[in-house]
Amino acid sequence: MNATARLREIARAVPPGGDWPSYAAAAASLDAAEGLRDAVPENRRVRIAVLASFTADPIVPCLRVEGARAGMWVDVYLGPYRQYMQELFAEQGGLLEFAPHVTFVAVDGDAMWDMYWAEGRPPAATFAAHALEPLMAAVDQFRDRGSGIVVLHDVIAPMSLAEGALAFADERSFSSCVPALNRELRARAAERPGTLVFPLADVVAEVGRRLAFSRRQHYRGHVTWSDRLTAEVAARWVGYAAAAVGLAPKCIVLDLDNTLWGGVLGEDGAHGIAIGPQWPGREFVDFQRQLLDLQRQGILLAVCSKNNEPEALAVIRDHPDMLIREHHLAGWRIDWEDKASNLRRLAAELNLGLEHLLFIDDSPHERAWVREQIPELAVPDLPADPSEYAVWLGSLPSLVVLQQTEEDRRRTELYREERVREQARIEAPSQESFLRSLRLRVGIEPLSDATMTRTVQLFAKTNQFNLTTRRHDEPTLRRQTAEGVWRVHTLRVADRFGDFGIAGAVVVEPRGEAWHVESLLMSCRVIGKSVESALIAAVARDARRAGATRLTAEFIDSGRNAPARTFLAQHGFGMLEDGLFARSLEEPGLEWPDWISPWGDERASVTAGVETT
Amino acid sequence: MTSNPTTDDSLRLLVAQVMGVPPDKVTDDFGADTAPAWTSLKQLMLISQVESRFGVVFSNQEVGELTSYRRFAELLRNR
Repeated sequence: MNATARLREIARAVPPGGDWPSYAAAAASLDAAEGLRDAVPENRRVRIAVLASFTADPIVPCLRVEGARAGMWVDVYLGPYRQYMQELFAEQGGLLEFAPHVTFVAVDGDAMWDMYWAEGRPPAATFAAHALEPLMAAVDQFRDRGSGIVVLHDVIAPMSLAEGALAFADERSFSSCVPALNRELRARAAERPGTLVFPLADVVAEVGRRLAFSRRQHYRGHVTWSDRLTAEVAARWVGYAAAAVGLAPKCIVLDLDNTLWGGVLGEDGAHGIAIGPQWPGREFVDFQRQLLDLQRQGILLAVCSKNNEPEALAVIRDHPDMLIREHHLAGWRIDWEDKASNLRRLAAELNLGLEHLLFIDDSPHERAWVREQIPELAVPDLPADPSEYAVWLGSLPSLVVLQQTEEDRRRTELYREERVREQARIEAPSQESFLRSLRLRVGIEPLSDATMTRTVQLFAKTNQFNLTTRRHDEPTLRRQTAEGVWRVHTLRVADRFGDFGIAGAVVVEPRGEAWHVESLLMSCRVIGKSVESALIAAVARDARRAGATRLTAEFIDSGRNAPARTFLAQHGFGMLEDGLFARSLEEPGLEWPDWISPWGDERASVTAGVETT
Repeated sequence: MTSNPTTDDSLRLLVAQVMGVPPDKVTDDFGADTAPAWTSLKQLMLISQVESRFGVVFSNQEVGELTSYRRFAELLRNR
């Protein structure tokens, strides 16, 4: 059994939302499993920091076990009790050394209520500004020095308040302060990169406030969250952490019969299936709405169904009440092959790892088959009752998208273009004539504010064509470029079928005579187009101009980045020592491919530092 | 004061889970004075878990006294 399977096995001892002692026991089993932490691949080891205004210790085992359930080893840094401000402001110490991927700052409604009473019931607007000013200043300090993303909580009143029926009209009521605080919090987080607001109020609403908070524990030991809320929040935090390190699902693969619509198409016919404005059928419309909301964020939708393809596609294209149409789908397999094989084919076609697919099917039999055949694929249990589908999908903790770029919004389109391109490749007489026929354009530009979000996302998500799989975040990129330690360039690619947008990046340390490639990565969507040759050619050109005579490059084997290793060999890099490669700049082999047109000013010399545009 | 083997076993397991130790380490003397794992926070966690598992509520005075497995077992037996 590999390490990821062992993690999942240990987590299975606790049902999701199980009691806290079971979480504690399973976390102890994680520690007792010899060599497990070291056996987990680096990209599946996630560091979560927790800073709270209350005793948050019980969430630690829950985070570790929910992480294991998602196939990750989670290390947790728990800030000292109530010292969230001190921790964020600290110039050195535990939090910074821990280098978290995600820092959760949980300041709860009780803390706000205390502050409100201490300030003598101030008006809502004044209170919101007072409460958030120092907190956001602390967050900014940490973002300058630290790593990863910061996630703040929205605020919920700790109980039904006895402020009365007129509190809604009283700007000095705490009932008025809560929405003012949350508006202010959202606005301030939205203007800061890598700063998010976690919808705690939604989670509490799902659990129910009386069950979510345990007042007796709150008063006795300031353990405010009930076991139930703690477990629910942990599962969702783990979803955020997975997304932050690029492990969130990228594609939802859907069954059709009794999943996207009610009934069986082959038996009930196109007019007999349930989809439409009234029951039965409305529950499937809502489910499709939820799926389309995910698709809008950049999660791909695909179909894997046992049906006759022409009939099923006719429903998707022509049924008046379907919301999900052909143009929403990145791909489909509609035939009578077994679903595990079809999922493998879909993953290959979409160029995604199997661990990035999430499969939704109403049949427990199909789910069991796929789980058994492809253990790394996520197969959550769809509720048996279709009335629950939409609600279930909305609260599935793993479906988290933390960044949205132009590329995300266009992603389904990109896959459609790829299908046309693939056809051209099959028909071309040779590799070079195929590449020429693509009429490729490549731009290599210094990292800028405009390309920052997409670049950080590439660092977080790219696995295959990635020399070192270092997950650089925005503060690190900004700091290192500002200090002139790194030159960071992005790769922009387009061809006659469409635009890929920013599809790669390279981090170079100019070290005089020998320039060093610290990271080089490229989206798998542009693999096989020789654009990596243009990228390294641009690095070589700049290095030569600066008087360098050698290029060195680092390679860290992640178990999944074989394409990047091949890249080094193909471009004449020889191994100096384990993980370190080098080549002379005086020998040929690093030329810009003549079938690629340069885009804009990428041949212009570039300077270090992030350009502001 | 008779002991109930089912309650005892179930309490011992709960103590082991909350304190993060194997069940066989939870002897009658296991407690704040003998086990480093028994911290004041864990004690509070344990009290809450025992309360919800066995349907009891300890008084403020009892909360201060519940510093070992033996004390938990005694107080539960007296309910």
